[in-house]
Amino acid sequence: MLKIKEASAQHWALRLVGVGVIAFLVLWIPTQMATSRIGQVSDAFVLIIAAMSLNLVLGFTGQISIGHSAFFGIGGYTAAILVKDYGWSPGYTFYVAPVIAFVVGCLIALPALRIKGVYLALVTLAVAVLFPTLVKWKKLAWLTGGAKGIDSARYDELPVWPILGELKGRDGRAVFAYWLAFIVLVITYLVCRGIVKSRFGRSLVAIRDNETAAAVMGVNLTTTKVLVFGISAALCSLAGVLSTLRTGVVTPEGQYVTLLGSIVFLLIMIVGGAGTLWGPIVGGLIYVWLDSATRGFGTNSDGIIGFLFGWADQSPATLILGVGLVIIMFAAPYGLVGLIKRLVAKVLVIVPKPLGDSHLAIGNTVPDTDSRV
Amino acid sequence: MKRKTYRAIALAVVGSLAIAACGGDDGESSSDTSSEATNAPGDTSAPDDTDAADGEAWAVNTDDCVDPAAANAPIEGTIKIGSAMPLSGGVAAAAFAPVKGGFEAYVKYANEKKLLGDITIEVAIEDDQYNKDLTPAAVDKLLDAGTHVFSGIIGTPNNLAVRDLLNEECYPQLLALTGSIGWGDAENYPWTTGVLIPYDVEVKAYATAIQRDFPEGVDVGVFVVNSEFGQEYLTTIESIAADYGLNIVDEQTIEATDSAPPTAQVNSIAAKQPPVILAVPLGAGCATFLAEVANAKAANPGWEPRVYITATCASSLILGLAGDAANGLYTSNNLVDVLDPEIAALPAVAEYLAFMEGQGLTDIITTGGAGWHTAEMTVAILVKALESGELTRASIMNAARSFEAVGMLTRPGVTMKMSGLSDQYIAQSLQIVQYDATTKLFTDIGDLITDYES
Repeated sequence: MLKIKEASAQHWALRLVGVGVIAFLVLWIPTQMATSRIGQVSDAFVLIIAAMSLNLVLGFTGQISIGHSAFFGIGGYTAAILVKDYGWSPGYTFYVAPVIAFVVGCLIALPALRIKGVYLALVTLAVAVLFPTLVKWKKLAWLTGGAKGIDSARYDELPVWPILGELKGRDGRAVFAYWLAFIVLVITYLVCRGIVKSRFGRSLVAIRDNETAAAVMGVNLTTTKVLVFGISAALCSLAGVLSTLRTGVVTPEGQYVTLLGSIVFLLIMIVGGAGTLWGPIVGGLIYVWLDSATRGFGTNSDGIIGFLFGWADQSPATLILGVGLVIIMFAAPYGLVGLIKRLVAKVLVIVPKPLGDSHLAIGNTVPDTDSRV
Repeated sequence: MKRKTYRAIALAVVGSLAIAACGGDDGESSSDTSSEATNAPGDTSAPDDTDAADGEAWAVNTDDCVDPAAANAPIEGTIKIGSAMPLSGGVAAAAFAPVKGGFEAYVKYANEKKLLGDITIEVAIEDDQYNKDLTPAAVDKLLDAGTHVFSGIIGTPNNLAVRDLLNEECYPQLLALTGSIGWGDAENYPWTTGVLIPYDVEVKAYATAIQRDFPEGVDVGVFVVNSEFGQEYLTTIESIAADYGLNIVDEQTIEATDSAPPTAQVNSIAAKQPPVILAVPLGAGCATFLAEVANAKAANPGWEPRVYITATCASSLILGLAGDAANGLYTSNNLVDVLDPEIAALPAVAEYLAFMEGQGLTDIITTGGAGWHTAEMTVAILVKALESGELTRASIMNAARSFEAVGMLTRPGVTMKMSGLSDQYIAQSLQIVQYDATTKLFTDIGDLITDYES
């Protein structure tokens, strides 16, 4: 087993390699991949943002929410209404949607303060079920378009960005959507990371691990829970805005606006690794890839795929995803990121830097059990 | 503990996915129907000379295309038709998979018959799970694969999700398999057309039939699915009710994702005892609605309402699920009922049946008809474009908007046609029919309705 000290030259080299690989991929995708693939990655980014927002509430705070599709919908509808009905430039909707979602998120969190576990899940479930019904309500149809929803809410002309230059047509739109989603993703990641690494973030983890102990230690449960729910809702609404601006259409039956959306966000977060910053990223990419790859399986497939799934009258995508999820959960209960960490820990250990003048600093010897990758 | 919690959540998620896969709504594609029109009765007039010339004179403007040269580039060797349909997920098995089978079967038929001469037709149909969020990705993939023309994309939101893109890029988005009236907007979306009878025309046809039977006016109960699909019907019903003497005494809805029988809704209508029910359920919901109406009739002796139900329910598959509860209902279509022995003996229909049987597709001869018909009209448009001199994306669109054809499965007297800006819906004639659950056949009621043809 290889041991590397935190903040050592080797550690920095490893980090640089990691950053380099990610930077290469981020630049390679929009410049070298087919337009449809770029679009798929953009779609994955949207789902990752939604799953990251859910991760704050569920993964780090332990508050079960099945209502995030409503916040996604708030973002999507806010963008569509402002762009289509009020002629706003789509870019400005990124500022308004999170504010609305934050307020709604905080309001929903208030009654949820006295309950937890499955009861909290049920309250948020009601929110997820209510949202599509609410936007379909006849008396709100003047605003939301009712059951028909809103269409043609997208960039008529793409803005000209300094490095990207003038983008046109399908290829240009795909590249623009990619970078737009990437920027929002980075911002979302940094916000989540900032929160998790902060005092506020530690109070979230304390609430998750032992609410009573957290309260005893001085964590204000009410403020913390309401705030994290509001922040999470605001971040999730950004995913909704991106989704609407990509297709230009938002309807009450859009997959991510309904309860199914909440389930997809949950799925991504859990498969990737709940309570880890990278979990939703890994989960989102895997989900979109798997969903796209398996959708074509069926009667027309050849080779091994045809042998395995030729019996199906239709694409067995849903079945494969479901079975895959069960297998992943049994093989990697802490998600794929947890699995990767465990596997890497068998060959490589990053020894944490001793703190201050602790006796641990003298010899820099830290027990393996405290080590982290 | 944490590990167990995540496992429990994972299992719950899988369960939810399974429920989502089993339930869900069915889109607007009819298996046995199609058509067009927006003119109110009385407004319809035969095309005058200007209209007739309009179709020939109309030409799509390619100047604003992202790549005008590509829109006018000749297509040689192989023409690729693409589509996006729900092939998996909640709605696929019952309603839409057969559409794909029928579509692909006709393309094979056309290639065998060499309808496009030396040009081979290829078709690629992507699965969008009836989820408009997945349609752009499906269309993107098809465009990357060199698709020239799109046809038969199912679902209004799904078509809307790619309409701006395809019009900006100047790719024909032909024969959208939905009846939204939005497909008749050639000025803003010249590259998009529909294939089903617009929902407002269908409603007006029912209203006319009801008015004929109840000239003094009549109470009507309305039942619609609470989706974009049902909303379009409801809007028309409410807007024309007074003109046709329809007094709406009750309006009930059901969510598209609700698979429970609409017991409370039907009981609410039954309490008002209207002599007529106008119903717009969806997919498997058609059968549960009809079963509930049968139950309500049994519980209310003497109440025998006439049920007019959307043509999207009028497939043998769906009505077969309803059994005797479907007996006597009224609906409409503009394609033939291939199960009728007399119809099956017609040469074109016999050829269709023989070809489908040869392909091992006997099980979808009724439900695959919409796919066959859509593909047939698509190829007919391509043939016309080829005859115009050169097969290009622009010439295909011009041919589509100056088009007239009779399909192998269209009813006698029905002509599929479009003409520039004056006639933007390909199908506007329809026949009111009544279903007999014993024979499982439809009987024509009155004459073919052609009043709505532009």
